[in-house]
Amino acid sequence: MTCPFAHNQAPATLSDDLMCQEVIDDPHSYYRGLREAEPIHWNERWGGWVLTGYDDVVKVLRDREHFSSDRMGYLARELPAEKQADYKPIFDVLSQWMVFRDPPDHTRLRILLNKFFTPRAVEAFRPRVRGIVNDLLDDLAPKGRMDVVRDFAYLTPLTVILELLGAPSLDRDLIKEWSEQIGVFFFIRADMPERRAIACEGVKSMCEYLQPLVEERRRKPQDDLLSVLVQAEQEGGLSEQEVISTAVLLVFGGHETTMNLIANGTLALIEHPEAWAQLKKSPDLVPSAVEELLRFDGSVKATVRWAREDVQLGGTTIKGGDRLLVALSAANRDPRQFEHPDTLDIMRSPNPHVAFAHGIHVCLGAPLARMEGQEAFAGLTRRLSNPRIAGEVLHYFPTVVSRALKELPIEFDT
Amino acid sequence: MSDVTSESRLVRATVDLNLCVGSTLCVQLAPDQFALTEAGQSRVCGEGSCKTILEAAEACPLMAITVRDSASGEVLFP
Repeated sequence: MTCPFAHNQAPATLSDDLMCQEVIDDPHSYYRGLREAEPIHWNERWGGWVLTGYDDVVKVLRDREHFSSDRMGYLARELPAEKQADYKPIFDVLSQWMVFRDPPDHTRLRILLNKFFTPRAVEAFRPRVRGIVNDLLDDLAPKGRMDVVRDFAYLTPLTVILELLGAPSLDRDLIKEWSEQIGVFFFIRADMPERRAIACEGVKSMCEYLQPLVEERRRKPQDDLLSVLVQAEQEGGLSEQEVISTAVLLVFGGHETTMNLIANGTLALIEHPEAWAQLKKSPDLVPSAVEELLRFDGSVKATVRWAREDVQLGGTTIKGGDRLLVALSAANRDPRQFEHPDTLDIMRSPNPHVAFAHGIHVCLGAPLARMEGQEAFAGLTRRLSNPRIAGEVLHYFPTVVSRALKELPIEFDT
Repeated sequence: MSDVTSESRLVRATVDLNLCVGSTLCVQLAPDQFALTEAGQSRVCGEGSCKTILEAAEACPLMAITVRDSASGEVLFP
């Protein structure tokens, strides 16, 4: 099936196939066409609204009165009871994730963990993150080539989150396998009807793997995030299910999207060699560059909300129960908000991008991801010279939500 | 510095609306000092004890809140 946005044509017919190859390869062109034609668009194929304008995106994400994040609750309404029973692991675990909960439960979970992820709190880990980045690059720099995703972008945030949790020795390969299984549901691998069953496997495996560590902390608390969860449980602030669910969330959320931020950002910098050179010369520009890389090609293309009741949005009536795909990537390229939105400008200011979403669900780990991104890009641009893509075509995992390279092979001078 | 977080010390916060994303964390942690505007951003609704306001300011993921001593104007956070 051909996609009408393959060559940035005027959208005479709006394609509703969010999974077609052209949209996966270049979501920005697709969303530009959609935003210009119909910024609040009913996608018949997906069965929901797609929002691509900055103001609408921000408005919906700030409005928790009218829009819910209860994905598992709305999924339960769609599925017959026996299907729900088939998917018990994801209903048990993901329904407890703060990202899919509304106040007051969301507030309780968020407040509990937020103090460990504030901008000030994450500064304490910066030297450790710098050390991880340096160790990886000590090994990689003399080789002259690497797969940025596998060799660098994956290992940096995963090492950090496992250390924060207090589980530094967990098997990286197993975690990757299970996280990818969870990802096919979480990031909406719409072409895979078995995505929920696959995610159940990943969730079950990860729970079983983490459970003994949780038990250990119940017996002997340590100075780590698993102990924080267990302590909250003992004080009555968390249920037993919430403890293990949140542990899985932290492992999954703590590395998947940061990995993609680092990979997407590295690709953008390689495709803009002047920006790479500028960062190499002036590392003080790195924080502003990270914000721009998040805006330009962030790791989360969209997030989903459900209308609790009929609500007006920009002259359109959204019916109660309707779902909305809130396109963060599209908002980040809205020319009404950003001048020359398709240009990478690492000194862009102000840069009120919504790559970490907005409102109460703004990413818990955003300050950590920012800091990890800063250290990663500072390290890469300092250590590597003349980087270039080593391959013909890059491939992305085909999902509605994530912007995730399968691999990013590069070469550089030694 | 022992009196920085003293309960009796009055402090005043300001919110940078260019940074505020409406996480509402400050409102949850210090409901007497912060409230939401109609647009869903944070606004300061009063002075308060130093400890509570500093906790709310530190919780902000965007560092959108600045805290000053009410009397001297000294910046206490960030």
